[in-house]
Formats: sequence, C-alpha cells, structure tokens
Amino acid sequence: MAELRPARCWRTGFFFCLWLLLFLSVASGSLVVVSGSNETSGGPAGDTPEDPHHQTNSTTHKKAFPVLSFNYQDVRKPFVISLWILLALLMKLGFHIIPNISNVVPESCLLIGVGLLVGGIIKAIGEEAPVLDTKLFFHYLLPPIILDAGYFLPIQAFMENMGTILVFAVVGTLWNVFFIGGMIFAVCQIEGVQLAGVDLLSCLLFGSIVSAVDPVAVLAVFEEIQINELLHILVFGESLLNDAVTVVLYHLFEEFSHAGTVTVLDGVLGIVCFFVVSLGGVLVGAIYGLLGAFTSRFTTHTRVIEPLFVFLYSYMAYLSAEVFHLSGIMSLIACGVIMRPYVEANVSHKSYTTIKYFLKMWSSVSETLIFIFLGVSTVAGPHAWNWTFVISTVILCLVSRVLGVIGLTCIINKFRIVKLTKKDQFIVAYGGLRGAIAFSLGFLLTDNERKNMFLTAIITVIFFTVFVQGMTIRPLVELLAVKKKKESKPSINEEIHTQFLGHLLTGIEDICGHYGHHHWKDKLNRFNKAYLKKWLIAGERSTEPQLISFYNKMEMKQAMMLVESGSAAKLPSVLSSVSMQNIQQRGSGNRRAIPSISKSREQEIRKILRSNLQKTRQRLRSYSRHDLMIDPFEDNVSEVRFRKQRVEMERRMSHYLTVPTNRQESPSVRKVCFEPEHQVFTYDNSESPRDPRARPDPGPLDAISLVSESQGPNQSREPRAKVPKEQEEQDQLKLSRCLSDPGPNQEEDLS
Amino acid sequence: MGSRASTLLREEEIEEIKKETGFSHSQITRLYSRFTSLDKGENGTLSREDFQRIPELAINPLGDRIINAFFPEGEDQVNFRGFMRTLAHFRPIEDNEKSKNAAVSEPLNSRTNKLMFAFQLYDLDRDDKISRDELLQVLRMMVGVNISDEQLGSIADRTIQEADTNGDNSISFNEFIKVLEKVDVEQKMSIRFLH
Repeated sequence: MAELRPARCWRTGFFFCLWLLLFLSVASGSLVVVSGSNETSGGPAGDTPEDPHHQTNSTTHKKAFPVLSFNYQDVRKPFVISLWILLALLMKLGFHIIPNISNVVPESCLLIGVGLLVGGIIKAIGEEAPVLDTKLFFHYLLPPIILDAGYFLPIQAFMENMGTILVFAVVGTLWNVFFIGGMIFAVCQIEGVQLAGVDLLSCLLFGSIVSAVDPVAVLAVFEEIQINELLHILVFGESLLNDAVTVVLYHLFEEFSHAGTVTVLDGVLGIVCFFVVSLGGVLVGAIYGLLGAFTSRFTTHTRVIEPLFVFLYSYMAYLSAEVFHLSGIMSLIACGVIMRPYVEANVSHKSYTTIKYFLKMWSSVSETLIFIFLGVSTVAGPHAWNWTFVISTVILCLVSRVLGVIGLTCIINKFRIVKLTKKDQFIVAYGGLRGAIAFSLGFLLTDNERKNMFLTAIITVIFFTVFVQGMTIRPLVELLAVKKKKESKPSINEEIHTQFLGHLLTGIEDICGHYGHHHWKDKLNRFNKAYLKKWLIAGERSTEPQLISFYNKMEMKQAMMLVESGSAAKLPSVLSSVSMQNIQQRGSGNRRAIPSISKSREQEIRKILRSNLQKTRQRLRSYSRHDLMIDPFEDNVSEVRFRKQRVEMERRMSHYLTVPTNRQESPSVRKVCFEPEHQVFTYDNSESPRDPRARPDPGPLDAISLVSESQGPNQSREPRAKVPKEQEEQDQLKLSRCLSDPGPNQEEDLS
Repeated sequence: MGSRASTLLREEEIEEIKKETGFSHSQITRLYSRFTSLDKGENGTLSREDFQRIPELAINPLGDRIINAFFPEGEDQVNFRGFMRTLAHFRPIEDNEKSKNAAVSEPLNSRTNKLMFAFQLYDLDRDDKISRDELLQVLRMMVGVNISDEQLGSIADRTIQEADTNGDNSISFNEFIKVLEKVDVEQKMSIRFLH
C-alpha cells in the first residue's frame, strides 16, 4: 500500500499539470484566433493584464530601464503551436499511464475524444476554435506519417501481394465510389427527405471523398492489434495506393460538377489521367529517391547531416508531385522505398538510428495532432444534420465495402497461390477505416451548397469507423483467432535458405520457360547489382553480397546487445553463435579470477594496452558544437576499421595456425594460458574442426580466446563478437598474443 | 513428328501422369510442348546438355545442381515422366488437397516433399545430413568469389550452430524443417502454372 501512494501522488500531480496546460492552451488558442482576425486588439489584450509596469512606466517622463517586460506578441505563433503539440503529447502520455484504458480503447479514439473536449471548452468560452486547415494537413501533418510508413514498408510482402493490393486499391475504390455515389443519389430521389437538390455529380463527388480507406487511421488501429503480416500489408497497401484513384476521381468530379456536362472524351481523359497521376507520382518519387541515394554516397565526412538528406529529398518528392497534381503519397512511398537500401548501406549506424527515430517521432506527433484536430473541428465546424443522408451514408459505406471485398476476393483467389480465407476477407473488409483525408478533402469543397451536409456525413462516417470498428476490431481478432504477427529473431538460416529457394525457383521457372515472379525478381536483382549498387553505394560495400551484409548486421546487433547487457553472464540462452557458445554461464566469482601469468607477460600486456589507448586518444579533434562526440572506441570510422581489422586478424590467425603444429604442444603455450586447468588440444587440420572434444570448458573470456588458438579455425572468429568498446583493446591484445605466442620465447629473449 | 507425338503422349499416359503428379490436362500438354522444344536430339529424352542450353540457367548459381536433380541416380537421360515428376514438387498446394486423405502416399507437392527436394539439393552425398562442407559449397556458389574462406566458414558455422539441436555438427532433415517453419514454404516453393 505504501508503494502505491507515491505512485498515485505522482499521477495526480501529473494530471493536475495536464489540466493546467489544457486550460493554458485553450486560453492562448483563443488568443491566437482572436489576434489572428484582429491583429491590433490581440496585442493589448495580451499585454495589459500582465504587465502594469510597462504601462505605468510609459506614462512617466522618462522610461526606466525595463528589468522585466512582457512581450507575448513576438512569440505568439510558435508559442501556441508548441503548446498544442505539447498538450497532444502529454495526452498521449497520460493514456498510457492510466492502467487498462489503452487495452480497450485504441489511442485514436481517445485522442479524438480529447479533441472533442477541447473543442467543447473553446466553444463554451465563446471563441473560435482552430480548424483542421487543409493546407496544414496536407503539407505538414500527412507527409511524416506517409514517409514513416513508406520507408519501413516490408518490401518483400508488398511485392508478393502487389497484384492483390492493386486490385483492392483501384477496382475496389472505383466500385465503392460508384456504388455509394449511385445509391446515395437514389436515396436523394426518394420523396420527402428534402434532398432533391443534390444532383448525380455531387453525389459521385461525395462518394469519391468518403470511400477511400485512410492510411492514418489504418496505421493507428492496426499497429495496436499486431495482426499477421499478410493482412496488415493488404489493408495498409490498399490505403496507400488508393490515393491515386481518390485524387483523380476527386478532381474529375469537381471539374465535371463545374462544367455541368460529361462526355465520353472526358471519361477517356479521366482514365488516362489516372495512369498519369499514379505512374507520374511513382516516377517523381523514384527520381528523388535515386538522387537521395546518390547523395548519401558522399557523406562519409559529414555524418551529422545525413538524416536530413533523407527527410528533405522525400519531402521535396512529395511537394514536387503535388505541384503537378500527381499523387503525392505514391511519390513519397516510391522515394522512401527506393532510397532505403542504398542509404542504409552508406550511412553510419548512428545516422540510421537517427533516421528511424526521427521518422517515428514525427509520424507519432502528426498522428496525435491529426486526431485531436479532428475532434476540435467536429465541434467547431458548421453542421447540417440530415438523418436520412447521414444514416444511409454510413450503412452504404459498410455494405459496399463488404460486397466489394467479397466480390474481388473471388476473382483474386483464382490467381493467388495462398488463397484468402473468409477470416482474412472479414478483416480486410472490417479494416477499411476512413479518416482525416476524407475530412480534409471534404473541407476543400468549394461553392457547393450541400457542403455542410456532406461534411457532417463524412465526420459521422469517420467517427463510426474509428470508434466502432476501431474499438471492436481487437476483440474480433481475438475471437476469430486470426493469426498474429510472428515475433522472429533474424536468423541466418532463414536468410540463406530463402535465397537458396529463390535461386532454385528461378531455375525451375527458366526450365519451364515460364517468366514468372521469380524470374523478374532475379532480373531486378541482377540489374541492381550490376548498375545501381556501383553508382549508389560508396566504397567496398557496393560489391558486398546481400548475405554478407545480413550476416554483418546480425553480428553487429549481437555485439551491441552484449554491450547493453553489460556482462556476458547474462545472456547465455539468448545468443546462439559460435563465439557466444564460449561465453557461457559461470559462477560470478570465477569470472573475475585473477589469471596466473608471469610478471613479465603482464608487463608486456600492460605496455601494449597503454600504447594503444594513447593512440586512440590522440585522434580527438577540437571541440565543435556540430561534431558528434567522438568516442575513442565508437567513432564512425571504427566500423570500417572493425571490419578491416577482423579480416586482418583472421588472416594472421590462420597464418599462425597453419604454421607447424609442434609449437602447440610446447609448454610455452600453457604458460600464457589464463585458465590453468584448461586442456590444450592438438591442432586438428582436418575439415571438421568442430570436434565434440573441442568444446571448451566454460571459462573466463580471456582464457577461452587465448587457448582457442590451439583449436580449429572456428574459434578464431571470436574477436568479431566481442564488445565493440573493448574491440580495439582486445584486437591489439589478440594481435600481440598472436605475434608473441607462437614464439613467446623470442619475446622473452628480447626483453 | 506427328506420329511420334501421338505415340509419346497417349491419353493413358496423360492420365497416369495426372494421377501421379496432380497436374491438369492442359498443364501437361503445355509442359510437353516445352519438353519437346528443349529436346533437340528428338529422342524423347533430355540430356544434361539440353538443359545447359537454357541461357538463364548458366548464370544461375545453382544451375548445375538443379539440372542434376532432374536425373535419377546415375542416369544421363530423363524422359517426360521423370521431368514431370520433378516439376510436380513445385505445384501450388491446393486447399482441397489438404483435406483429402493421402491416397497412397503424400502428394509430390506437399510441404514435406518440397522441403525434401530442397534438402537433397544441399545434401549431395545423400547421407541425410547437410555437413559443414556441403553448406560451404552452397554458400560459395551463392556468394561469389570475393568473400574470404574464413568469413564463409564462420557463416557456415553459425548456420549449423543455429540449426543443430542434436549436436552432430550437421543439419538433419528434421532440423531443416524446423528452421524453416516460419518461412512460408508453400508460397516460396510454388510456381503458378495456372493461367
């Protein structure tokens, strides 16, 4: 009980601060709005209550030097923006502190709820609430989310299911638009619902706005339920690719509704426009992606700004596509997808982490703000409620989605290897959430007398899908026992065998004369290796096969894990590698056993260590605010050196190991062995060095690595898995051991 | 040509192949025309040279092994039946087959048989284990010549270490299956013959 009280104290304190900030933001928000519309009146209104000093001083003949002055006007805009963002993030924080709520209600719902609350408060005060401005949404809030999604898109799964995704995105959306538009028109024709003024084109326009599945909402909900990869990529991919369709149809119908008449030529042009919009968007994205990849090739000396290139090129891709009315979303996705493999090969590990976390951070903030503003706009916006229209819209959206998915799946399943089951279909249909894009597009409608009614209906659909479908999808997933995402560690086996199978299938396809999926993938890989990698990846990594980079990445990750866990004894079961097998559990006492070595040996080691540490310290340059702290053991160059040293090490090791074996039996080896009771194994030159006898007893790190020299080449790979911090130290140590061991007598003679 | 075609692809033969492999009539005829186009010697069987004439196979790292997989032990020629039997491993698994009880033995394109086919491509000496050497050979073929032996060796060791559960320093068939349990083998090892 005693423990709970302080926790509860903290919590209540936190919420108090939250409400205070809420109030503050509302107040300043209203100030912004008032000031925004009326520049002059806002100023004094902000100033006067706060600073009597200033006023009184100005009335005297000479102004005393203002020790403390208040000038809210200058910082008003950034202040309010920051306050809103801060509020949004504190809300997000709050939801995760409250126990249990995030399990039941998805975050998006909670955020909309907060938005509603804030909007309500603002309205109650009597001020005008900030609305989800279309420009703000499309230019600032949406790109980070899409870039985050596109950069981390699982390419394999996406490409394998490309056909299905395209069918759902294009044909499915078209079906939705025409079905909803047509049926709504039919509903409007019914007598007595006061909807006679709505013509077919307006209905179709409305249909095109409300039928597109929204990537933001889908991401927000699907991220939490952790569904299996196939379904995730189907719904998510559809939400991304239907942007092209939405853009074209929206502009098409808007043009038509101004023009009044539709001809066949317009229809054909519309279809052409669709291809131009989607392929053009992808092309623009691809160009910027290649540019970004090419730029990253030259950033070896300016690592700090590497992440910025990624962000800026992608953003430019988005904006450039928007200039030509092409699909900005597809451009952004294409840019991220194309840029990623090359950028990752070129940038430092730190930059990679920075890119990852900045993207996640921005997209998280954007998402939060979007939902809150959605709530606020709902309260603020002018509404025209029409029962029939709204209810029929909601019902029609559901019906058309279900029909569309079922119908399309019947066709698609004829072409798929792994068919979509009924459960899959249900999740795909149920996951078709609408979101803020629909709202913003509706907001963009101009001189349409039914705009308010449309907006109300759109908001209702959004609320329905996000709240009802968003909240119930998790229990439904549990109920239907839909497969969840599999947590899997990167496995070198899977990588090797998957590549193996890829080659195998390509070969079989060639034998059958069938130019299928594998054939084209293989061609693309060959093209990539022959041309693109040479141009876009710096240095020696351009010729590195995929398997090797995968393996290196894995080893690096393990080494990092080793650093983070702090001591080798903590991770016996987690890691499974040749080198790790030697670092097994041992009583804590023994790990620190002082090795019994000769005095002169110890001196030698100390000297070597000292000289090497001094060397690294000399590399520290003068301090500059823009330099990342250069850590002697972890600077950016260390990765390349790491690799080079490893290769160097192995060469030396194998050289010394293949040198005549008689030296191994000499007692001199035993002398340098830190663990006295360790057995010395004769060097076995045969091809299977992993003799069961060769498995060493658990011992201190040093002992194993030292005596391992007398064992097969498998043990020589030890250095690689070592902690990077101690890497250089160890390497030097091992190098010195290598140099000195085979002839320790020499050393002693010299000294 | 016409008379030979009719003797080589009689209806009964098509039926037999259908029963054995599960291919449909149209697929069998299509693959037969491919077979004859590869068969330059026009003697109803394919030799290794016939396969090697396919240009893409020459640049495939596993080209030779795949070709060898078609030829039964010690023989140099493969007839149409053998050709189809090997290709049957790559037929997509259909849902209705999953529920059907295996008539005599498992159909050729079951998951286990697919994996067995792949396993045998690794395991050249047919001792039911993938030894370190065999693994190294495959790795060397896939990775090219620029990578040092030691690095490849370490990858091979790590691979075996990850998969090996009974400590014999090689990968048995069961361990192979276990390692690939998360991989969607049905999709990865199937070719869409359906048009």
